[in-house]
Amino acid sequence: MWNSTIVRLCAGALIVGVTANGIAKPIAFANGTTVMTEYGAGTMEEAQAFYAPTYWLSLGGGYLHLDSDRIDRTRDIEYVRGNYLVHRWNREDAQGNLFVWGGLGSATGNDFRGSKLDRELGFQADYETRRIYASAMSDLHESSAYSHRVDTVQLGSAPYAHDYEDLATWFVLQARRYTGDLHRGTECAALVRLFKGGAWIEAGVTQSGKPQVMAMFNF
Amino acid sequence: MRNYLFAALGALAIASPANATTIEMDVNGLVCAFCAQGITKTLRGFPATADVVVSLEKKLVAVATKDGQDIPDDDLKKALTNAGYDVKAIHREAETLDDVRARLKAKP
Repeated sequence: MWNSTIVRLCAGALIVGVTANGIAKPIAFANGTTVMTEYGAGTMEEAQAFYAPTYWLSLGGGYLHLDSDRIDRTRDIEYVRGNYLVHRWNREDAQGNLFVWGGLGSATGNDFRGSKLDRELGFQADYETRRIYASAMSDLHESSAYSHRVDTVQLGSAPYAHDYEDLATWFVLQARRYTGDLHRGTECAALVRLFKGGAWIEAGVTQSGKPQVMAMFNF
Repeated sequence: MRNYLFAALGALAIASPANATTIEMDVNGLVCAFCAQGITKTLRGFPATADVVVSLEKKLVAVATKDGQDIPDDDLKKALTNAGYDVKAIHREAETLDDVRARLKAKP
Protein backbone atom coordinates (compact mmCIF):
# COMPACT_ATOMS: atom_id res chain seq x y z
CA MET A 1 0.00 0.00 0.00
CA TRP A 2 2.74 2.44 1.08
CA ASN A 3 4.99 1.38 -1.79
CA SER A 4 2.30 1.71 -4.43
CA THR A 5 1.30 5.12 -3.07
CA ILE A 6 4.89 6.38 -3.36
CA VAL A 7 5.14 4.97 -6.90
CA ARG A 8 1.95 6.71 -8.01
CA LEU A 9 3.03 10.02 -6.48
CA CYS A 10 6.48 9.75 -8.07
CA ALA A 11 4.94 9.00 -11.46
CA GLY A 12 3.10 12.28 -11.12
CA ALA A 13 6.33 14.04 -10.21
CA LEU A 14 8.05 12.67 -13.32
CA ILE A 15 5.23 13.84 -15.55
CA VAL A 16 5.51 17.33 -14.11
CA GLY A 17 9.27 17.51 -14.23
CA VAL A 18 11.93 16.53 -16.70
CA THR A 19 14.90 14.89 -15.10
CA ALA A 20 16.09 16.10 -11.83
CA ASN A 21 17.69 16.63 -8.49
CA GLY A 22 17.77 15.37 -5.00
CA ILE A 23 20.14 17.91 -3.61
CA ALA A 24 20.06 21.53 -2.66
CA LYS A 25 21.58 24.44 -4.54
CA PRO A 26 25.25 24.02 -5.49
CA ILE A 27 25.80 27.70 -4.64
CA ALA A 28 24.23 28.92 -1.41
CA PHE A 29 25.43 32.53 -1.21
CA ALA A 30 28.44 34.74 -1.91
CA ASN A 31 31.47 34.15 0.31
CA GLY A 32 29.80 31.05 1.65
CA THR A 33 30.96 27.48 2.08
CA THR A 34 28.63 24.56 1.50
CA VAL A 35 29.29 21.06 2.82
CA MET A 36 26.87 18.34 1.77
CA THR A 37 26.61 14.60 2.23
CA GLU A 38 24.00 12.23 0.88
CA TYR A 39 23.32 8.56 1.51
CA GLY A 40 20.99 6.40 -0.52
CA ALA A 41 21.00 2.80 0.66
CA GLY A 42 22.12 0.42 -2.10
CA THR A 43 22.35 3.12 -4.75
CA MET A 44 24.69 6.02 -4.06
CA GLU A 45 26.70 7.94 -1.50
CA GLU A 46 28.11 11.39 -2.11
CA ALA A 47 29.98 14.07 -0.22
CA GLN A 48 30.72 17.56 -1.54
CA ALA A 49 32.32 20.80 -0.38
CA PHE A 50 32.16 24.07 -2.30
CA TYR A 51 33.26 27.64 -1.71
CA ALA A 52 31.43 30.45 -3.49
CA PRO A 53 33.46 33.65 -4.06
CA THR A 54 30.33 35.14 -5.68
CA TYR A 55 26.66 34.23 -5.77
CA TRP A 56 27.03 32.89 -9.32
CA LEU A 57 30.10 30.67 -8.99
CA SER A 58 31.35 28.03 -6.60
CA LEU A 59 34.38 25.77 -6.73
CA GLY A 60 35.13 22.61 -4.84
CA GLY A 61 35.11 18.88 -5.03
CA GLY A 62 33.52 15.70 -3.92
CA TYR A 63 33.38 11.97 -3.73
CA LEU A 64 30.71 9.79 -5.33
CA HIS A 65 30.13 6.08 -4.77
CA LEU A 66 27.63 4.29 -6.98
CA ASP A 67 26.22 0.78 -6.62
CA SER A 68 24.22 -1.24 -9.11
CA ASP A 69 21.27 -3.61 -8.77
CA ARG A 70 21.93 -5.35 -12.09
CA ILE A 71 25.29 -6.93 -11.49
CA ASP A 72 27.88 -6.42 -8.83
CA ARG A 73 29.07 -3.13 -10.30
CA THR A 74 30.47 -0.23 -8.31
CA ARG A 75 32.00 3.17 -9.07
CA ASP A 76 34.14 5.38 -6.86
CA ILE A 77 34.76 8.85 -8.24
CA GLU A 78 36.75 11.69 -6.70
CA TYR A 79 36.30 14.96 -8.52
CA VAL A 80 36.87 18.69 -8.63
CA ARG A 81 34.00 20.75 -9.94
CA GLY A 82 32.85 24.26 -10.77
CA ASN A 83 29.20 25.35 -10.43
CA TYR A 84 27.83 28.30 -12.37
CA LEU A 85 24.53 30.09 -11.91
CA VAL A 86 23.34 30.76 -15.45
CA HIS A 87 20.35 32.81 -14.39
CA ARG A 88 18.31 33.67 -11.33
CA TRP A 89 14.75 34.88 -11.44
CA ASN A 90 13.85 36.94 -8.37
CA ARG A 91 10.15 37.54 -7.90
CA GLU A 92 8.29 39.13 -5.01
CA ASP A 93 7.31 35.75 -3.54
CA ALA A 94 9.47 33.32 -5.48
CA GLN A 95 12.89 32.53 -6.81
CA GLY A 96 14.01 30.38 -9.74
CA ASN A 97 17.52 29.31 -10.66
CA LEU A 98 19.33 27.57 -13.48
CA PHE A 99 22.72 26.10 -12.58
CA VAL A 100 25.22 24.19 -14.72
CA TRP A 101 28.43 22.50 -13.65
CA GLY A 102 31.40 20.64 -14.97
CA GLY A 103 34.34 18.82 -13.49
CA LEU A 104 37.13 16.31 -13.80
CA GLY A 105 37.98 13.42 -11.56
CA SER A 106 39.52 10.05 -11.05
CA ALA A 107 37.32 6.95 -11.12
CA THR A 108 37.80 3.36 -10.11
CA GLY A 109 35.36 0.50 -10.48
CA ASN A 110 35.10 -3.25 -10.20
CA ASP A 111 34.41 -3.82 -13.90
CA PHE A 112 37.51 -2.09 -15.29
CA ARG A 113 41.17 -1.94 -14.39
CA GLY A 114 43.03 0.92 -12.81
CA SER A 115 41.70 4.45 -12.62
CA LYS A 116 40.03 6.40 -15.40
CA LEU A 117 39.73 10.10 -16.07
CA ASP A 118 36.15 11.02 -15.16
CA ARG A 119 34.36 13.91 -16.85
CA GLU A 120 31.28 15.40 -15.22
CA LEU A 121 28.55 17.64 -16.63
CA GLY A 122 25.24 18.59 -15.10
CA PHE A 123 22.48 21.07 -14.62
CA GLN A 124 19.87 21.96 -12.06
CA ALA A 125 16.71 24.02 -12.48
CA ASP A 126 14.68 24.94 -9.43
CA TYR A 127 11.76 27.08 -8.40
CA GLU A 128 10.62 27.82 -4.88
CA THR A 129 8.26 29.91 -2.87
CA ARG A 130 7.91 29.67 0.90
CA ARG A 131 5.34 26.89 0.43
CA ILE A 132 6.20 25.09 -2.83
CA TYR A 133 9.46 23.71 -4.14
CA ALA A 134 10.34 21.98 -7.42
CA SER A 135 13.70 21.01 -8.81
CA ALA A 136 15.12 18.99 -11.68
CA MET A 137 18.71 17.86 -11.93
CA SER A 138 20.78 15.74 -14.25
CA ASP A 139 24.35 14.70 -13.44
CA LEU A 140 26.44 12.91 -16.09
CA HIS A 141 29.68 11.07 -15.36
CA GLU A 142 31.60 9.46 -18.17
CA SER A 143 35.01 8.00 -18.92
CA SER A 144 36.54 5.59 -21.41
CA ALA A 145 35.01 2.75 -19.37
CA TYR A 146 31.47 3.98 -18.62
CA SER A 147 28.85 6.62 -19.13
CA HIS A 148 26.01 7.07 -16.72
CA ARG A 149 23.66 9.75 -15.55
CA VAL A 150 21.67 10.32 -12.40
CA ASP A 151 18.45 12.22 -13.02
CA THR A 152 16.31 13.46 -10.16
CA VAL A 153 13.04 15.34 -9.79
CA GLN A 154 11.83 16.72 -6.48
CA LEU A 155 8.51 18.30 -5.61
CA GLY A 156 8.07 19.75 -2.14
CA SER A 157 5.37 21.34 -0.09
CA ALA A 158 5.69 23.16 3.23
CA PRO A 159 2.83 22.84 5.73
CA TYR A 160 3.51 26.41 6.89
CA ALA A 161 5.46 29.40 5.59
CA HIS A 162 8.65 29.66 7.61
CA ASP A 163 10.64 32.76 8.38
CA TYR A 164 14.41 33.17 8.79
CA GLU A 165 14.64 32.22 12.43
CA ASP A 166 11.98 29.50 12.27
CA LEU A 167 12.45 25.79 11.71
CA ALA A 168 11.43 25.13 8.11
CA THR A 169 9.62 21.86 7.38
CA TRP A 170 9.07 20.40 3.93
CA PHE A 171 7.48 17.20 2.66
CA VAL A 172 9.26 16.14 -0.51
CA LEU A 173 8.59 13.52 -3.17
CA GLN A 174 11.59 12.44 -5.17
CA ALA A 175 11.93 10.40 -8.34
CA ARG A 176 15.38 9.31 -9.51
CA ARG A 177 16.63 7.35 -12.49
CA TYR A 178 20.11 5.92 -13.08
CA THR A 179 21.31 5.26 -16.63
CA GLY A 180 24.34 3.26 -17.77
CA ASP A 181 23.19 -0.13 -16.49
CA LEU A 182 23.27 0.86 -12.86
CA HIS A 183 19.65 0.50 -11.79
CA ARG A 184 16.42 -0.49 -13.47
CA GLY A 185 13.34 1.67 -13.36
CA THR A 186 12.69 4.75 -11.30
CA GLU A 187 13.53 4.97 -7.64
CA CYS A 188 10.92 6.95 -5.73
CA ALA A 189 11.25 8.31 -2.23
CA ALA A 190 9.19 10.26 0.27
CA LEU A 191 11.31 12.63 2.34
CA VAL A 192 10.97 15.05 5.20
CA ARG A 193 13.25 18.08 5.01
CA LEU A 194 14.07 20.28 7.98
CA PHE A 195 16.29 23.35 8.00
CA LYS A 196 17.07 26.23 10.21
CA GLY A 197 19.75 28.87 9.73
CA GLY A 198 22.56 27.21 7.81
CA ALA A 199 21.76 23.60 8.71
CA TRP A 200 19.62 21.32 6.59
CA ILE A 201 18.71 17.66 7.00
CA GLU A 202 16.52 15.52 4.81
CA ALA A 203 15.53 11.92 5.50
CA GLY A 204 13.09 9.44 4.09
CA VAL A 205 12.51 6.07 2.54
CA THR A 206 12.33 4.72 -0.99
CA GLN A 207 9.50 2.57 -2.37
CA SER A 208 11.61 -0.50 -1.63
CA GLY A 209 12.00 0.52 1.98
CA LYS A 210 15.59 1.72 1.77
CA PRO A 211 16.60 4.77 3.79
CA GLN A 212 17.81 7.95 2.18
CA VAL A 213 19.45 10.77 4.12
CA MET A 214 20.99 14.09 3.13
CA ALA A 215 22.60 16.73 5.29
CA MET A 216 23.93 20.13 4.28
CA PHE A 217 25.59 22.98 6.11
CA ASN A 218 26.20 26.50 4.86
CA PHE A 219 28.49 28.93 6.64
CA MET B 1 1.84 75.74 20.01
CA ARG B 2 3.28 72.71 21.77
CA ASN B 3 1.50 70.39 19.31
CA TYR B 4 3.01 72.23 16.36
CA LEU B 5 6.46 71.86 17.89
CA PHE B 6 6.08 68.09 18.37
CA ALA B 7 4.72 67.69 14.85
CA ALA B 8 7.62 69.66 13.39
CA LEU B 9 10.17 67.63 15.35
CA GLY B 10 8.52 64.37 14.30
CA ALA B 11 8.48 65.34 10.65
CA LEU B 12 12.13 66.37 10.86
CA ALA B 13 13.08 63.03 12.42
CA ILE B 14 11.33 61.06 9.66
CA ALA B 15 12.60 63.21 6.83
CA SER B 16 16.23 63.37 7.84
CA PRO B 17 18.42 60.32 7.17
CA ALA B 18 20.93 61.64 9.66
CA ASN B 19 18.46 60.97 12.47
CA ALA B 20 17.30 57.60 11.20
CA THR B 21 18.40 54.52 13.09
CA THR B 22 17.16 51.85 10.73
CA ILE B 23 17.52 51.37 6.99
CA GLU B 24 14.85 49.17 5.45
CA MET B 25 15.01 47.50 2.06
CA ASP B 26 12.21 45.78 0.15
CA VAL B 27 13.83 42.83 -1.61
CA ASN B 28 12.63 40.41 -4.28
CA GLY B 29 13.66 36.74 -4.20
CA LEU B 30 13.70 36.30 -0.42
CA VAL B 31 12.19 32.84 0.01
CA CYS B 32 14.50 30.73 2.16
CA ALA B 33 16.74 30.81 5.18
CA PHE B 34 19.85 30.50 3.02
CA CYS B 35 18.86 33.70 1.21
CA ALA B 36 18.55 35.47 4.54
CA GLN B 37 21.81 33.97 5.80
CA GLY B 38 23.74 35.23 2.78
CA ILE B 39 22.27 38.71 2.97
CA THR B 40 22.93 38.96 6.70
CA LYS B 41 26.53 37.91 6.18
CA THR B 42 26.98 40.46 3.38
CA LEU B 43 25.49 43.39 5.30
CA ARG B 44 27.42 42.62 8.49
CA GLY B 45 30.52 43.21 6.38
CA PHE B 46 29.87 46.98 6.39
CA PRO B 47 31.82 48.70 9.21
CA ALA B 48 28.78 50.91 9.88
CA THR B 49 26.42 47.97 10.43
CA ALA B 50 25.29 47.39 14.00
CA ASP B 51 22.74 44.64 13.37
CA VAL B 52 20.60 43.11 10.63
CA VAL B 53 17.06 41.70 10.59
CA VAL B 54 15.57 39.76 7.68
CA SER B 55 11.89 38.95 7.27
CA LEU B 56 10.99 36.45 4.56
CA GLU B 57 7.31 37.10 5.15
CA LYS B 58 7.58 40.85 4.63
CA LYS B 59 10.39 40.53 2.03
CA LEU B 60 12.22 43.03 4.18
CA VAL B 61 15.85 43.53 5.12
CA ALA B 62 16.49 46.01 7.94
CA VAL B 63 19.90 47.34 8.93
CA ALA B 64 20.69 49.27 12.10
CA THR B 65 23.76 51.44 11.79
CA LYS B 66 26.18 52.45 14.50
CA ASP B 67 25.67 55.83 16.14
CA GLY B 68 26.26 58.71 13.76
CA GLN B 69 26.99 56.43 10.80
CA ASP B 70 25.11 55.65 7.63
CA ILE B 71 25.48 53.41 4.59
CA PRO B 72 24.80 55.03 1.19
CA ASP B 73 21.90 53.63 -0.79
CA ASP B 74 24.14 52.82 -3.74
CA ASP B 75 26.40 50.69 -1.52
CA LEU B 76 23.42 48.81 -0.08
CA LYS B 77 21.89 48.22 -3.48
CA LYS B 78 25.22 47.03 -4.87
CA ALA B 79 25.74 44.68 -1.92
CA LEU B 80 22.35 43.02 -2.31
CA THR B 81 22.66 42.84 -6.08
CA ASN B 82 26.06 41.19 -5.67
CA ALA B 83 24.44 38.77 -3.23
CA GLY B 84 21.98 37.75 -5.94
CA TYR B 85 18.84 39.68 -5.01
CA ASP B 86 16.81 42.57 -6.42
CA VAL B 87 16.25 45.66 -4.28
CA LYS B 88 12.89 47.30 -4.96
CA ALA B 89 13.13 50.19 -2.52
CA ILE B 90 15.29 51.60 0.25
CA HIS B 91 13.81 53.76 2.98
CA ARG B 92 14.94 55.00 6.36
CA GLU B 93 12.75 54.76 9.43
CA ALA B 94 13.06 56.57 12.74
CA GLU B 95 12.81 53.44 14.84
CA THR B 96 15.17 50.98 16.43
CA LEU B 97 15.76 47.48 15.15
CA ASP B 98 13.91 46.17 18.21
CA ASP B 99 10.92 48.22 17.08
CA VAL B 100 11.21 46.60 13.65
CA ARG B 101 11.39 43.13 15.23
CA ALA B 102 8.30 43.86 17.32
CA ARG B 103 6.44 45.18 14.28
CA LEU B 104 7.37 42.09 12.26
CA LYS B 105 6.23 39.75 15.02
CA ALA B 106 2.92 41.56 15.47
CA LYS B 107 0.12 39.83 13.62
CA PRO B 108 -1.45 41.91 10.83
